[in-house]
Amino acid sequence: MVSIKDYDSDIENTWCPGCGNFGILAAMKDALAAQGIPPEKILIISGIGQAAKTPHYLKCNLFHALHGRALPLATGAKIANHELTILVNSGDGDCYGEGGNHFMHAVRRNIDLTVLVHDNKVYGLTKGQASPTSDEGMITKIQSDGVLSETFNPLSVALALGAGFVARGFSGKAEHLSKIIQEGIKHKGFSLVDILQPCVSFNNINTFDWYRKRVYALSEEGYIPNDFNKAMDLSKMWGDKIPIGILYQKEKPSYTDKIKKLKESTLISGEYSQKKVQNAIHSL
Amino acid sequence: MSVDISVKIGGEAGQGIQTVGDILARVCLKCGLYLMAINDFESRIRGGHSFFQIRISDKPVNAPNHGINLLLALDKKSFDLHEKELVKGGISLMEGVDTPAKKNVIAIPFLELAKESGGKITSNIVAAGACLALLGAPFGVIREVITEGFASKGKDIVEKNLNAANAGYEAAGKISYKFAFKWKVSRPRGILIDGSRAIALGALAADCRFASFYPMSPATGIMAHLASAANEFPLVVEQAEDEISAVNMIIGASFAGARAMTATSGGGFCLMTEGLGLSGITETPIVIVNAQRPGPATGMATRTAQADLLFIINASQDEFPRFVFAPGSPAEAFETTSRAFHLSDKYQVPAIILVDQYLNDSLFIAEKALKAPGKVKRFIVSDNDLKKPAEYKRYALTNSGISPRAIPCNGRAIVMVSGNEHKEDGHSSESAQTRIEMVNKRNAKVVKMLFEINPPETYFPGSKILLAGWGSAKGAIREAVDMLRKDGIDAGCVNFNDLWPFPAAATEKAFLTCEKFYMVEQNSTVQLGRLIKEQTALSYSGAVLKYDGRPFYPVEIADGIKKYMR
Ligand SMILES: Cc1ncc(C[n+]2csc(CCOP(=O)(O)OP(=O)(O)O)c2C)c(N)n1
Ligand code: SF4
Repeated sequence: MVSIKDYDSDIENTWCPGCGNFGILAAMKDALAAQGIPPEKILIISGIGQAAKTPHYLKCNLFHALHGRALPLATGAKIANHELTILVNSGDGDCYGEGGNHFMHAVRRNIDLTVLVHDNKVYGLTKGQASPTSDEGMITKIQSDGVLSETFNPLSVALALGAGFVARGFSGKAEHLSKIIQEGIKHKGFSLVDILQPCVSFNNINTFDWYRKRVYALSEEGYIPNDFNKAMDLSKMWGDKIPIGILYQKEKPSYTDKIKKLKESTLISGEYSQKKVQNAIHSL
Repeated sequence: MSVDISVKIGGEAGQGIQTVGDILARVCLKCGLYLMAINDFESRIRGGHSFFQIRISDKPVNAPNHGINLLLALDKKSFDLHEKELVKGGISLMEGVDTPAKKNVIAIPFLELAKESGGKITSNIVAAGACLALLGAPFGVIREVITEGFASKGKDIVEKNLNAANAGYEAAGKISYKFAFKWKVSRPRGILIDGSRAIALGALAADCRFASFYPMSPATGIMAHLASAANEFPLVVEQAEDEISAVNMIIGASFAGARAMTATSGGGFCLMTEGLGLSGITETPIVIVNAQRPGPATGMATRTAQADLLFIINASQDEFPRFVFAPGSPAEAFETTSRAFHLSDKYQVPAIILVDQYLNDSLFIAEKALKAPGKVKRFIVSDNDLKKPAEYKRYALTNSGISPRAIPCNGRAIVMVSGNEHKEDGHSSESAQTRIEMVNKRNAKVVKMLFEINPPETYFPGSKILLAGWGSAKGAIREAVDMLRKDGIDAGCVNFNDLWPFPAAATEKAFLTCEKFYMVEQNSTVQLGRLIKEQTALSYSGAVLKYDGRPFYPVEIADGIKKYMR
């Protein structure tokens, strides 16, 4: 039995009091405990940003990497040892801005990672500049006339790219979020969980209250996430009503499933053979 | 009799120059001759102008020669461009139509003969047969080479190509040629190998499990060789979406326990530099091959250069230890690649191998057999090696600076790694003291790393003047020394394979007794010379530099040095 307490970390938390990240952290611990994955069996990889600090705040194997580059790093780790259970903590800037190209290709590869994007619609760690998911027109110290670009929609993009698990969570509903994370972990393939995360310091539009009034759980309406077109429609819903839950799920072979030699063993447990190397040399 | 003949095969991309070159090379190999060959091509798939230049000798040759004895011009442009390189008595073989009426031109109707024998597309094989006939090669060996070379395409194709080669052979057979020589059938002197393949084999011999890359000349060949071998090995080759991804993927794979590498050229390396730093601060072993070409930016995609040395040694912000190597031949590239994996693993630092288009794409004979080790030693600990696995600290402070490296999810030891400055346990830290401890810990490794560094290789070390260079220029530099010595100049040379950590003491020793030394490099600002100046009390007296994108000819070096002798 694994309990939530097992994931406690004695590291000082540097998030602002009241930050939406705390709900995500709680949901992660809950999900891991519920899935019976002990700290020594989970690997969490993150980029850079407030979101990317998360793995330090729970007990786990971790690689806190570069801004925007968590996905390729996690891809390499998963190919090397596809038996690893890997979570990725990333921010909206980290995943959709600096790492946007990797996001696109990680979806295409359908590499079996569960990617939690703490979407606060702003750059938190660098103090409040616009992010790809900031609302058009949002005013910041840098974007003093408002954001000029249109808002990036990660769910629609992931769906359009063929992602097999596309979900949205809300950090104010940790229990619901935990369920989504658990489904994401169980899903064999790339799982995107975009998490609405209020930033109490730099985003005074999308606050906890703002979200509480708008979000509704798809599962409560008996929604079954197997219809691509419906999922696409839901992904574009933003305003008075914002759906949360799994929008779309479809199992298909993951990247490492498609590499034949990994059926026998993980890459790291393969055998070195002097004879084979010598044969390769002689084949010249 | 001594043989030293250069044959240049020129034509448009797509005319089958490679095949002709390959046949010539293999026939020479089977006859126990020495050879080396360069590939010169443009950044295009068809048309333009390319050539393959093979130097054939009865003594070891490790650089191209400037003079051409036989020019096989598959188009008029090749003749116009290269006629002036013909030595006295040299001739040009050309297609029968539209041939300049000159004494040094022999016209053979390749296409006509091809149509009659093996079909239109075999005209390059007709030409190969003609070349070899002129040189006096025995047809029996040509037959063997063609039969082996085309075997996978079926009997019919073999037959057609044999007929084509024979037609060319007959057509040129009676022509007397000043440079024809007596061929013997004997054992090959070694294996015929280019730098790309040698690096790929070196990686296999080091048990590389994961390679990720983004295509970029002249590095792609390495990955192509690895990919073609991957089925036989526990190896995955992944084409990443860009070089940033490639380097981060190999860091992830290495962190998870797989030996991993990437290969790129300067522009791609620029994109990798932040990742290089991540490998540095997280102490995750990786191997990066940087195959140099002229730059900056796109520069010249299919040309050669040695102008990334100072960049590579300093690449990334801040400071951390790394290994930098620059092999001087395919045999060295094989050894060096294996060693780079070993040392990167042992010291938990990135290792970078500097090669270039010339080394990667040129064929050399490796005389000494390439040997894979019986076992590959890894430097990874697991619970059994740890007193208290539950208290494992990835960055535990040690005298050597090397902390035991465990891999994630492999027992009770929890592995925490951070590209932020971190404490011994791997958690981020902004403490001033921790920062100093960690910088010192990483830097401490250099002491032992230096013991792993081989001194530069010397040739006529006690000489009055020494030539000094690094990487692939070695063959040309050594031959230039031979030329200078023949002219009565007391010259020797010093060639660097291991460049970083810089072997300062060994360098000072190598130049201790010479009166003057001269740098020989393929860049415009004497990069190794400047490094030597910075790292030792020594200063070069002059330099022979070439930065036109083409490899050194030994004579250019010898002439350049002689200018300083006046
Ligand atoms: C290459 C690079 N560029 C810029 C930065 C500075 N930087 C750190 S975090 C960050 C943005 C963080 O925003 P987001 O990913 O949305 O995460 P949040 O802090 O909001 O959780 C930036 C620009 C960096 N660390 N590295
Ligand atoms: S700046 Fe925003 S996202 Fe960052 S910790 Fe504070 S509230 Fe959270």
